[in-house]
Amino acid sequence: MTLTICLAGNPNAGKSTIFNALTGARQHVGNWPGKTVEKKEGRLSLSGHEVIIVDLPGTYSLSAFSAEEIITRDFILDAQPDAVVAVVDAANLERNLYLVLQLLEMHVPLVLALNMSDVAESRAIRIDRQTLSERLGGVPVIPMVGSRAIGLDALKAAMMRAATDHAAIPPLCLDLGAPVEQEIAGLLPLIEREATPYPPRWLAIKLLEADEDLLSKVPPALAQAAQQAADRISEETGEDADTLIADARYSCIGELVRGAVSRAAANPITVSDKLDRVLAHRVWGVVIFLALMWVVFQFTANVSAPLLDWIDGLFSGPVTRWTVAILGAFGLNGTWFESLLVDGVIGGVGGVLVFVPVLFALYFAIAVLEDSGYMARAAFVMDRFMQKLGLHGKSFLPMLVGFGCTVPGIYATRTLENPDDRKITGFLTTFMSCGARLPVYVVFGSAFFGAASGNLVFALYAIGIGVAVLTSLLLTRLVFKGKPAAPFVMELPPYRVPNPRTVALYIWGHTAEFLRRAGTVILAASVVIWLLLAIPVNGGQFARVNAGDSLFGAISRVIAPVFAPAGFGQWEAASSLMAGFVSKETIVSAMSQIYTNASDDLPAPQPLTDDARDIAVGLGEALVLTGQEIVNIVPRTVNVIPGMHMPEANLLNQPPDTGGDTALETALRAAFTPLTALAFNVFVLLYVPCLAAVAAMRQEFGTRWMGLQMAYTLVVAWLGAIVVYQAGLFLGIG
Amino acid sequence: MMTVLRQVLQTFEQASAPLSLAQMARDLQVEPAILDDMIAYWVRKGKLREVTEAGCDSCGLKGDCCSPIVKLPRRYELAADDAPGKPPCCCG
Ligand SMILES: Nc1nc2c(ncn2[C@@H]2O[C@H](COP(=O)(O)OP(=O)(O)O)[C@@H](O)[C@H]2O)c(=O)[nH]1
Repeated sequence: MTLTICLAGNPNAGKSTIFNALTGARQHVGNWPGKTVEKKEGRLSLSGHEVIIVDLPGTYSLSAFSAEEIITRDFILDAQPDAVVAVVDAANLERNLYLVLQLLEMHVPLVLALNMSDVAESRAIRIDRQTLSERLGGVPVIPMVGSRAIGLDALKAAMMRAATDHAAIPPLCLDLGAPVEQEIAGLLPLIEREATPYPPRWLAIKLLEADEDLLSKVPPALAQAAQQAADRISEETGEDADTLIADARYSCIGELVRGAVSRAAANPITVSDKLDRVLAHRVWGVVIFLALMWVVFQFTANVSAPLLDWIDGLFSGPVTRWTVAILGAFGLNGTWFESLLVDGVIGGVGGVLVFVPVLFALYFAIAVLEDSGYMARAAFVMDRFMQKLGLHGKSFLPMLVGFGCTVPGIYATRTLENPDDRKITGFLTTFMSCGARLPVYVVFGSAFFGAASGNLVFALYAIGIGVAVLTSLLLTRLVFKGKPAAPFVMELPPYRVPNPRTVALYIWGHTAEFLRRAGTVILAASVVIWLLLAIPVNGGQFARVNAGDSLFGAISRVIAPVFAPAGFGQWEAASSLMAGFVSKETIVSAMSQIYTNASDDLPAPQPLTDDARDIAVGLGEALVLTGQEIVNIVPRTVNVIPGMHMPEANLLNQPPDTGGDTALETALRAAFTPLTALAFNVFVLLYVPCLAAVAAMRQEFGTRWMGLQMAYTLVVAWLGAIVVYQAGLFLGIG
Repeated sequence: MMTVLRQVLQTFEQASAPLSLAQMARDLQVEPAILDDMIAYWVRKGKLREVTEAGCDSCGLKGDCCSPIVKLPRRYELAADDAPGKPPCCCG
């Protein structure tokens, strides 16, 4: 006689492994009729019987939510297998039992293959099979390690017994509570009268669960009766029938395992849990987040400095020199074209490209934090912090994203359901300092604050968060008076050692984006700025005018007085800020064109071999210094603690901070004081992010809202810069 | 008696600060895996929703600097009754 036995189980419980162990090479793989789900069938001969083994798709439940669930259920109902083997993961017994209960409800001869027993054992999970089997109404429970074929013979014996010995299967009596049981009792006569092919009680339960697949298969009168019954249940209990039924299964599982399963600890405390006690702590979590940010910016600003100087030297030295030489070969020296290439392209784009190491360092730090699992905690902690302040929570993710770039930050507001929340968060996101603002801070930082430039960067990021928080307070109190949205529940994945490949891919992805922008937006903006600087207004020759007498200079002079109360009322500053509307890196590119004039100050020619040597030696030195800066993070961080003095490494024996100033830094020192530099940077931080962000705002929130937001950021930036400058003057700094 | 499923939902309704799934499982004394299933149940019923990352690439628009610097793991929240369905797609 041929017997049919099928394997059912949760995904990853080891079904395929056991299927393969049972059937060996005698398999046939195809698809379930009309479905893209794989169907595996195999054969074996057991004690004189030919047995067909069917591997059913992995499912967690037997409702009608997925193709897998329907296939499993229909197969058991239609093919009426002689026995069903429920393959369960012993290390995850409770969850797996949910499916087992549903199989038992279907009243099939069942065998429980308690697979992954080795895993359960290693986690100190002990399962009393005897008790479990008794509670399941005598279902045989076979411990197995499928991957090592342990327990296979016992399984074979048990399933043959179940398939051939037609002993009455005791129906599992899942107590669904009086209201549901009463309605089931009412439906049973109807079901029996209709003579459906399904087990009556099972069908009654499924109909009460509003199982759409079955509701469409049974006669309409029955479906209607079931719907009315379900309505009565929810009226009486205030709970949907399917909720009550699902809940009864969960409590049944609780009963089944009580005393039958013991584990070292119900929810063992892991290392991650211990770390989270500090890192995700209500108070310490915030402190640590800020401290980590501080370290990240020290790292970003200092570690990247040597390579930054090297690349700067590359552009102002050899690259400029070669360009001039090549142009000279075509007789183009001294022409406007030379000025365009040297001032516009090399000065403008190169001026931005020198910051690649800075962004590289930033992305490295963020990638490490992200891949270690910390960023999830940061969002978690900061969200809770904002919620406690009575602010709109949940907005921290878009804000966090905004640290990279405002544009995806604005799009990330879509994770919020409520349109008002989206707008508020969009507002806040623009104050999160994006990667494009970093070059500006770093230029000013190294010009005015030397090794402490990381502090400036950190301060600016912190000011950004502060302004965002204040804005959020203002908006939630004044504009949107809704109640704060309910918080979320989040999976906090275990901490882990960052994967170098993931980190590398991350850095490359983001740095490549920066490079692409340098080659497109920034290149275009640099050329336009060059053009505006080349057009004379008071007579003079094209591309030969003083920047101050150019069209750009003239326009900027009109705007410049607005910034006088903030201490940077010079036209140069105003024009740089105007350029910044395009993108914030453009500020740097504009400044390098406005404050320095490379084509007037061309590097002296030198042989190519000398250039090559300089480049190589410079790179070597820069790499050594980079290593030194990395090492020095430790003493610098320790030395922040008052009273500590840990010496810093000085490998090349240079006096501190002789990193060599770039031409731009020198020029900026002449034009700004530390105080006006700070005020200028605060303005850069706070005002309209860039064209791309404005476009994103318009797309997401509409033109009116976009206009409002632009106006708001401008006013806040202006006031912020004034406050910083005037407060500084008042305190006698500057 | 309140059902465990209901307690899961109630935890969401009464929470005043973000919660981690692990903490919630401990509070409700359920297996984390079962909590996942219970949350999935409420998501199917439309009471909870999974917060999905919406980036520009969610609808094929890969414009300037579109990759977010952080991606967060699974998050769930109460589904608001007045939620305006799916947020607009940036491709219009
Ligand atoms: N440690 C252990 N691993 C197993 C056991 N049974 C299966 N596996 C492994 O668990 C993984 C999932 O098994 P698979 O049969 O594909 O699961 P399915 O999704 O249920 O078909 C595979 O890597 C198996 O090698 C077992 O008893 N112990």
